[in-house]
Amino acid sequence: MPTHKKHRRQRGLLLVTIALMAISAPAVVAAQEDAAVDYSKKGADTCFQCHDDQTVLAVFRTKHAVPTDPNSPFGHGQLQCEACHGPGGDHAGRVRRGQERPPMVRFGSDSGTPVAEQNAYCIDCHLSDAGFAWHGSAHDNNTVACADCHTLHVERDPVLSTATQADVCFDCHQQQRTQSMKPYAHPVRQGKMDCSGCHNTHGSTTDRLLARATTNDTCYDCHAEYRGPYLWEHAPAAEDCANCHDPHGSNYPGMLSMRAPTLCQSCHSQDGHPSLPQDERGLPGGIPSQYLLGQACLNCHDQVHGSNHPSGSKLMR
Amino acid sequence: MHKQTTLFSRTLIAPLVLLAPAISFAQVDTSDWKCESCPFDQGYRAEVDAGVTYVGEDGAIRFGNATGYDDKGAYANVGGQGRYAGDGYRLDWMIEDLGLDSRVFELEGGRQGTFGFRVGYRELPYRRFDTSQTVFNPSSSDTITLPGAWVPAGLTSNMTQLSSSLRKQNIGSDRQIIDIGADWQPGAAFRLFADFRRQNRDGIDITGGSSFTQSALLPRWIDYETDQVDAGIQYGTNRASLTLAYYGSYFTNQNPSLTWDTPFTSAPGAGQYRMAMAPDNDFQQVSLSGAYRATMWDTVVAFTVASGSGEQNELLLPYTVNSGVAASALPRNALDGKVDTANYALTVTSRPLPKGRVKFAYRFDERDNKTPQSTWNRVITDIFLSGDIEQNVPYSFERSTITLSGELVVWKDIRVSAGGERKELKRDFQEVAEQTVDAGWGQVRWRPLTWLDLRVKGGATERDIDRYDETVAISLGQNPLMRKYNLAYRYRSYGELIASITPVDWPVSLGTTVLYADDRYNKSQLGITDSEEVRATVDVNWAISENSSLYLVYGHENIDALQLGSEQFGVWDWSATHEDNFDHIGAGFHWSQPDGKYKLRFDFNRSDGETSIDLFSLSGGESRLPDLTSTLDSARIEASYHWTERLDATLDVRYERFKVDDYTLVSPATIPTVLTLGAQAYDYDVWALGLGIRYHFGAGDITLAD
Repeated sequence: MPTHKKHRRQRGLLLVTIALMAISAPAVVAAQEDAAVDYSKKGADTCFQCHDDQTVLAVFRTKHAVPTDPNSPFGHGQLQCEACHGPGGDHAGRVRRGQERPPMVRFGSDSGTPVAEQNAYCIDCHLSDAGFAWHGSAHDNNTVACADCHTLHVERDPVLSTATQADVCFDCHQQQRTQSMKPYAHPVRQGKMDCSGCHNTHGSTTDRLLARATTNDTCYDCHAEYRGPYLWEHAPAAEDCANCHDPHGSNYPGMLSMRAPTLCQSCHSQDGHPSLPQDERGLPGGIPSQYLLGQACLNCHDQVHGSNHPSGSKLMR
Repeated sequence: MHKQTTLFSRTLIAPLVLLAPAISFAQVDTSDWKCESCPFDQGYRAEVDAGVTYVGEDGAIRFGNATGYDDKGAYANVGGQGRYAGDGYRLDWMIEDLGLDSRVFELEGGRQGTFGFRVGYRELPYRRFDTSQTVFNPSSSDTITLPGAWVPAGLTSNMTQLSSSLRKQNIGSDRQIIDIGADWQPGAAFRLFADFRRQNRDGIDITGGSSFTQSALLPRWIDYETDQVDAGIQYGTNRASLTLAYYGSYFTNQNPSLTWDTPFTSAPGAGQYRMAMAPDNDFQQVSLSGAYRATMWDTVVAFTVASGSGEQNELLLPYTVNSGVAASALPRNALDGKVDTANYALTVTSRPLPKGRVKFAYRFDERDNKTPQSTWNRVITDIFLSGDIEQNVPYSFERSTITLSGELVVWKDIRVSAGGERKELKRDFQEVAEQTVDAGWGQVRWRPLTWLDLRVKGGATERDIDRYDETVAISLGQNPLMRKYNLAYRYRSYGELIASITPVDWPVSLGTTVLYADDRYNKSQLGITDSEEVRATVDVNWAISENSSLYLVYGHENIDALQLGSEQFGVWDWSATHEDNFDHIGAGFHWSQPDGKYKLRFDFNRSDGETSIDLFSLSGGESRLPDLTSTLDSARIEASYHWTERLDATLDVRYERFKVDDYTLVSPATIPTVLTLGAQAYDYDVWALGLGIRYHFGAGDITLAD
């Protein structure tokens, strides 16, 4: 290899080294600064001298207080209470009469500790299971604190239970709560279905934090009968279930966004099968219309998700 | 060469060495942190609920929707939860509604940080109608027949055996879900996981069975089974994460067809009909996703690459069940349907400024339908040959989205964010082959006081198309002026206000949201042309005392839409104006005695839905359909009395009133050419009274170790 080429390559590698060191440097500085701050003398034993009520102690019934798990805050060599609440040396130390104790890190949007700082403590440990996706997610962008959704000092976190999760989500997603109360909706208000069945709440690379790659893939998790591919497809159904359905709830049976026949007539105006205005002339008092009453268009074209019948091109078979 | 390798190794090792202190966490001397007073979880404890609930009214099957309280009468019920913990091992169980069709059982255990497992079983009842009636009898799971004495007629009003042949037929289904999963962490950075889920759904659904100019709504027996597998391996450090995963879905339908006798007068040989039901299908997907976090600018790069393939090869039914029709041979015995999917995503979030953040996202989704095309010679509703040669159309699409957004703290309490997005859609065989959606939005968030948080957001979205190919519409027999809802040009503008007031020293907090959106389909002559949406919510919470709280929530939704149609297959000659309203009010309080002796919770919800459709047509003038309305009142009182240290007495009272006005639900013979199931609109009052006990096993309060 010519010498100048070798030098150029070495120089390149050196630059890469410097770049990687530059990226790494802040982490090192942060860690060193962290080590320099004042932690309490005896860890949790110090904390419990004052904080010994049931709410605090309930942490021992959670996954955060498992001594045999080296990654748990109470695992061997870990920082116990101060793993989440920050260094407590100053807080536990002597203060002059009348002087307020220096605050610890507290959790929740109104706790006084900046949300970013709170979340950094959580993400520090939960990076690979939640933290990577969290960065830049809708919840992160809206400055949601982890503790806004998660209750940590309880044996069972309500947001992790199907029966109670939606109530937590609805604290912010109030419009979705309204929709969940509609007469035709998934069984969320009955506590039998949770939001995380469809949404990846910590963030994902999908639209609307969906649990699967697309809207349809998410719906097929429970409604696999509509996956097909069918011999005769209904194009909008194959593309996006939300073209016709409102998954958060609807005034119409089947969680449809409009009622048939007008829903169908918003796309179809067929030759030889005229798109008639289905008005009061078609009600039982007039000439009861097969296009308006019963299942309207679906009285005949029932296979709206697609048909696998060789004679089913009109979705009637 | 050796030197090169050494230099290259050093290049990689140097930063890793520097990273090491960060990875090994802060160096804090914890040798004196004995945690001697820590009351770590040990032993077994549980609480078990047992009781009886009496449902006081009949004819309220929909109350049993998702609850299992289908009929009037007494229901014994058991629930509870418990845990064993010791030496790092843990076993949790939970039971809900064991005596009902909505029962849930979950068992979860393992050794935290090493392995875990879970087993779950869940039932979900779906109850639709108990007022429906049918003349059909099941002769097998895929065939329904008429009574022997049935006399066919041309119109429902002439069916002489109708009233004597009707029998009650409830419509609904039950879903059972079994879930088995496990995960194992062989090292600090690796995690293997696998989850198997089997869903069974069986019951009766409604299917419209056409016999050309007439139709009958048929009770259809459903028997579905879906197996799903999620498995993978994850590697994660505090810098990077990588997951390789497999997802499989296998759907089986035990009743892939439905054969029925027509109740109407039919041509000789055309008394029986058959349709195909959902075919068996399977889908498999492999995905690789990962993320890397660099400390420089707090940058996170995340990606997903997924490739999937779905197949459907159910044996096809013949063109017709009618042997009197000289149907041709099928071009293939099974579809050999295949759909390949591809999903790629990349997101980069970074904070190049202390007060500024940017996000870039790219996403690509593809559905490539590789189902072979053949020509088919349709038999119209098992009666006669259409004479047309039709080709099946395997729809495919590609959708790519690029998003760029940023946020900047411009003043100490003001954050400004803005973003833009371009979505491109390419389709096969449809009127619109290429579609772009350009969106832009901005938001100002102002938090002038610690207790006041205001957000104002606004934006616009323009969905444009390369052209609306009217030749495609004409080839499908569609009016060329129609612009399909999901393909039409659309301009949407919207604004949203979100406010949150949480005074620090005040026990009351308030949150409100208001959304307004306006959709214009300016280039549509037929179809939806305008739509307007208003949503508003108000939440009030009042912490009356340490042991009591009260809440009040309100939600309103209004969607108006204008639709144009043509009965003359030309320009518009009728219009429909839709107005959808929905209001919800919820209120409740929670109270407990300071010592927990008595606890009381009350919740009330009222929901009102109303849809009005006003029509105007050149042929019929102005017309208004009856309003479609629904009103739901539900209330629940839950109370408990802490009788002894281990025993609670519980009371659970529920009330629900649901009333629907729906002109489409008509008796079986109302429509001359459609024999319906005669389901009636919901109108019920129901109450349920539950009494029970809750027994606590094991340790109660947590006390510090000596």
